[in-house]
Amino acid sequence: MSMLRTGLRAAPKARVFSTTATRAILPAGPQVIDGTVNDAAKIPETNPTHGSYHWSFERLISVALVPLTVAPFAAGSLHPITDAVLGATLVMHSHIGFQNCIVDYIPHRKYPKSLKAAKWALNGATAVVLYGLYEFETNDVGITEACKRIWKA
Amino acid sequence: MASRILTRPLFAPQLASPLRRAAATQIRLAATKPYSDAPHANTIISKPGHESIINSTSADAYELLVAQRKNRPIAPHLSIYQPQLTWYSSAANRITGVTLSGLIYLYFMGYAAGLPLDSATVAASFGAFPYGVKLLTKFGLAAPFTYHSWNSCRHLVWDTGRMLDLKNYYRSGYAMLAVTAATTLWLVYV
Repeated sequence: MSMLRTGLRAAPKARVFSTTATRAILPAGPQVIDGTVNDAAKIPETNPTHGSYHWSFERLISVALVPLTVAPFAAGSLHPITDAVLGATLVMHSHIGFQNCIVDYIPHRKYPKSLKAAKWALNGATAVVLYGLYEFETNDVGITEACKRIWKA
Repeated sequence: MASRILTRPLFAPQLASPLRRAAATQIRLAATKPYSDAPHANTIISKPGHESIINSTSADAYELLVAQRKNRPIAPHLSIYQPQLTWYSSAANRITGVTLSGLIYLYFMGYAAGLPLDSATVAASFGAFPYGVKLLTKFGLAAPFTYHSWNSCRHLVWDTGRMLDLKNYYRSGYAMLAVTAATTLWLVYV
């Protein structure tokens, strides 16, 4: 009961050594008190697939995107397969970028379920986007040609 | 073992009483084993003008600690750190990346869902916009795209271990900003 009262007192409150009120942007997450202050910090288990291979793959995609993006626009339109490769690489790059944001902003210790939900939501979104990209490549003129037409419209 | 929680506010004026000294030595929050103690009756010892000491279980102590932690403030970070090219450019890289990727995702999800987003429709609608709107949209798309592209080149250079000192960081940063501006203007007007 007292917890309900402290939680509802969400109005700005003055701190001890300050004259202005403070308001947190987000409410405090679920509080987890795990062990004591004397326990060693938990080290996450190491796995190169999620570590160095992931990093290398991410850089490989980024490097590959440079010629893939510049070439079609420099040389006029190119083969539809190059266009599809550009689209897929762009989606992979976006997926990895979103993954980095999720891992950065939803810490595992504080929000384990939200982290998992966000990761799977991203997977679902990427699947839909890849399907949409496939439909776009098959039914429409291709990414580079579409960009050119819309830009010059 | 019963835990005793001092219930007076932390910043109350100091009371010169033997009861306060006694109370100060009895603060023990058994937060390590929240549910291992059997509950027993609460007893309240209080005198007018003095603090009260409540015997409670460690489960109550746990709940009280959780409630206290929810009210604790966080020290300011982003709002007080001096604006610098280093973290501003890094934040801008992420923001532009997320925005562009978000637009791509929304577009292709809409296309997959059957919305009328084929290139002919979009080109026709975009062509019908007033010139000012078209200009703004082109700037709004070209600027993040070029910024993200050129800044990512810096990232790839750093990944090889080069230009990581502050002087080269700022040099490459300003060069990147200049090239971004030039490329944006070229994309929009040429």
